[in-house]
Order: sequence, then structure tokens, then C-alpha cells
Amino acid sequence: MSKLLNLALGILAAIGGFVDIGDLVFNTAAGATFGYQLMWVIPIGVVGIIVYSEMSGRVAAVSGKAVFDTVRERTGFSAGLGALLASEVVNLLTLAAEIGGIAIALQLLTDLSYRVLLLLAVVALAVVLWTLHLEWIERLFGYGGLCLLVFAVAAVKLSPDWVKVGAGFVPHISQNDPWLYLYFAIGLLGAAMTPYEVYFYSSGGIEDGWTTKEIGLNRANAIVGYALGGFLSLALMMVGASVFLKHGIEPEHLGTIPLGAQEPLGKIALLLGIVGILFAVGGAAIDTVFSGAYNLAQFFGWEWGRYRHPAGAPRFSVTWIVLLLCALAIVLTGVDPIMVTEYAVIFSAVALPLTYIPILLVANDPEYMGANRNGTLANVLGVVYLVVIMVVAVTAIPLLLITNVGQS
Amino acid sequence: MGHRLHVGRNVLDHQLLDRDGRRCGNVDELAIEGGPGERAEVVAILVGPGWWAQRAGLLGRLAGWIGGSGRTRIPWSEVEKVDSAVWLRRTAPEYGLGRIDDRLRPYVERIPGARR
Repeated sequence: MSKLLNLALGILAAIGGFVDIGDLVFNTAAGATFGYQLMWVIPIGVVGIIVYSEMSGRVAAVSGKAVFDTVRERTGFSAGLGALLASEVVNLLTLAAEIGGIAIALQLLTDLSYRVLLLLAVVALAVVLWTLHLEWIERLFGYGGLCLLVFAVAAVKLSPDWVKVGAGFVPHISQNDPWLYLYFAIGLLGAAMTPYEVYFYSSGGIEDGWTTKEIGLNRANAIVGYALGGFLSLALMMVGASVFLKHGIEPEHLGTIPLGAQEPLGKIALLLGIVGILFAVGGAAIDTVFSGAYNLAQFFGWEWGRYRHPAGAPRFSVTWIVLLLCALAIVLTGVDPIMVTEYAVIFSAVALPLTYIPILLVANDPEYMGANRNGTLANVLGVVYLVVIMVVAVTAIPLLLITNVGQS
Repeated sequence: MGHRLHVGRNVLDHQLLDRDGRRCGNVDELAIEGGPGERAEVVAILVGPGWWAQRAGLLGRLAGWIGGSGRTRIPWSEVEKVDSAVWLRRTAPEYGLGRIDDRLRPYVERIPGARR
């Protein structure tokens, strides 16, 4: 029974960790701009995040090493420090965007000003992080995020043209504005494979005390959890295509997205959509702020972890508080969180190879991994996705410039 | 420790754990002795931001500037065992490790809920 419960909890955490402001924005905007034409990108991204999360979780379970332990170990201090800097910048931008997203979602429910809501959001996150155990945090945000399922109901209720939907799963290039199409494809991959997901996932495995016994649980969590996350992404894209493309609306504001659920289902669906977004984005804020602190602590060898109370790992606790404040400072400047999201997603594509190569190397090391080292499937997929990520990393910034951050 | 150990891969840049399993730094550098023609031998583990600069050039110097110039030298004989981490025979404070955590702890503890 407890095994089943663990599985359920892990899956919830994976769904919560998968859908964040980047997925919400990119999937809905892709649907609103290109209809169902980019559906095929989502499964590619989802399999990628499954492959590397499973690998990093297995490495954590068998060797007790989280991602940035392996990064430092395999790339050395100098290159590792570069990877650390890149990932910290991406994490901080993502965190800032998520905090902005919480405030935007709250704006739909209250009359308070955006800046006041930013402050409230950060205080609420800090209180939750300080006082609750990690497992309760995961449950709270995981269950809350499930409200996003309303978008799946909406997607079906909008009676889409299923033939067109099916055709969207066949990889192709759009004749209509191909650069923008590629920008969205890269953005969707980047949003699905955001590096913080892997940092948080592997560190969480260590926090939960995973050993070789949890290898099956790890695999199930990664596969089912991220697949369901991908399912939600598909639903968001379909809603984008059915509601916003039809009306010629560009969902540039996060607050527009829940309207996609309201159109076919009414007021309660709108509310569920807002609550789902609030928890998904809030959960992602927690994942990113912890990831930032995990990475620093692992790289420098500090005590870390939430399985201890905050006083058990003081430098780690101070680090995440400082990161929260830095992110707050970024969004308080008034910069548009959606813009920050797009930059964060695109730049994360650049930081990804530095994260994934060391995981792949350690997962193949017989000395640490023994019989649990990568099999043929994991290695073939691992290398294929490394190539995908390299292509994404190389093309991300040129596409960002060519399309003027997706505005063309 | 009878078995062969690849110090470059199994020790350098690995997590340091004290007797109680407390994380107390990383192996930032190794002190190796032995002239030309002699057998090279690791004599100490070097820990602290003071060692980064010489390993990582400009970036290391910048990190060292932020991290401070702390340098700790732990004789190799203090190493209990090496698995996926490097275990020490005594507690972190006995080597002067984990000091920043120990200094921050009283302040963190003042905030309600810190020991929940």
C-alpha cells in the first residue's frame, strides 16, 4: 500500500514539476499561432525529460550523487563552475518568471496591485518552504496543480478536428513563417526539458533516501509523471488552437490562458484553471528556488537538504532565501514575466548540455552504478537526446534574434 | 585501503563527509609528493576557496574572491574510506570544516520554525 502511495505522490510531484509558466505560455501560444501543427514536438520533449530524469534519479539512488555532484566530478572545477553559473542564471530567471506568474494568477482573483501580489507571493513561498516538510509541499502543489486537468476536458469539449490533431503529430515544417515555427519548436523543447526539473528530481530522490530498491519507483515516477505532464501540455496547445487561434487572440498574458477553459465549460472551469495555474506555477517556483540552492551546495560540498529542518543546513537555507529575494528584485523592476520566461526557456537550452553530459557519463560508470548502469536503450536515447539538445542549444539564440523573441 | 584508487577520478572534486556523515566541503585540490622518477603519493586533501584560484584561472579567482581565502589541509591519513564520497575519521569542526554553517546556525535558529 505504501508503495502505491509513494508512486502516486511521485507522479503528482512529476506533473507539478513539469508544467510551469514556460509550458503554459509556449504551449498555448504555439496552439494560438500554429494550431495543431506543433503537437509532434511535445512527445519528443517529454521522452527527453523522462530519459534524463530517470537516469539522474537512478544515479541518485545508486551512488547517492545529485546532478551537481556529478557535474563537478566529471567536468572539474573550472568547467563545472561555468555550468554552475549558467544554470544559476537560468534558474533565477525561471524563478523570477514563476513568481511573476503567481502574482498574475492572483490578480485574477483579487483587486490588489501586481507589486503587492509579488510581495505576497514571495512571503507565502518563504513561509511554506520554511515550515512544511518537502513531502507535504509536493503533495500540496501536486494536488493543486491537478486542477489543470480542466484544460484536458476543455480541449475535448471544444470538439477539435481530430484528423488535424492527428496530422499535428507528424513532424513537418510550416510553410507559413517557418522561422517563428522553429522558434516555437525550440521553445517547446526547452520548456519540456527545463534543467531545473532534473536538478530537483535527482536531489529530491536523495532527500527521500532512495536506494537501489527505489529504482523501479524512480522509473515509474519519471515515465508516468512526465507523460501526464505532457498530456496537459497537449491539452493546453489544443485549447490554444481551438479558442485563441479561432478568435485571433494571442495569449500573451498568462491571465488569458484560463479563458480557454471558460469558453466551453463556464465560470467554474475558469476558476479551476486559475487555481491550477497558481499551484503549477507556485510548485515550479519552489522547485526552481530549491534547485538553485541544491546546485550551489552540491558544487561546493555544503550541507544541504530539506529532510533536515532549516537549522540543519543553515547555509543552504540562507541561499534559498537570498535567491527568492533576488528573483523578487527582478520582477519588481516591472519586467514582463512572460518575456523573462521566454528568455529563460531559450537560455536553458544553452545550459542543458553541460547538465546532461555528466549525468550520462556517471550513469555509465560501472564503478558507481554496477549492474544498474545504463542499458542499451538508455544510452541510445541518451545520446540521441544529447544531439537534440545540442541542436536546440546552437539554434536557440539565433532564432530568438531572428524572430525578435517570437514577435515576428 | 588496499585497493587501487584513481585519485584524479575517485577523490578530486568529491564530496567530503565527516565521521557522522555530515557534508563538510569538497576535495578542492590534492597535495601530491614525489620527484621525477619517484612514486607520486597523495599526502593531503586540500579544502577551501583559497585553493580554487590556482585551479580555475580567472573564474576561480573571482569565485575565490567571493568565497574568501580559507585553506584547510587534511593529511591523507585522516581519510577513513573512499566510496562515492570521501569519508574522514573525525568530526568536521576538528578539522576546521563546516565553519560557515556553524556560524550561521544561531542566526537561523532564531527564526521560528527553524527546528520544526
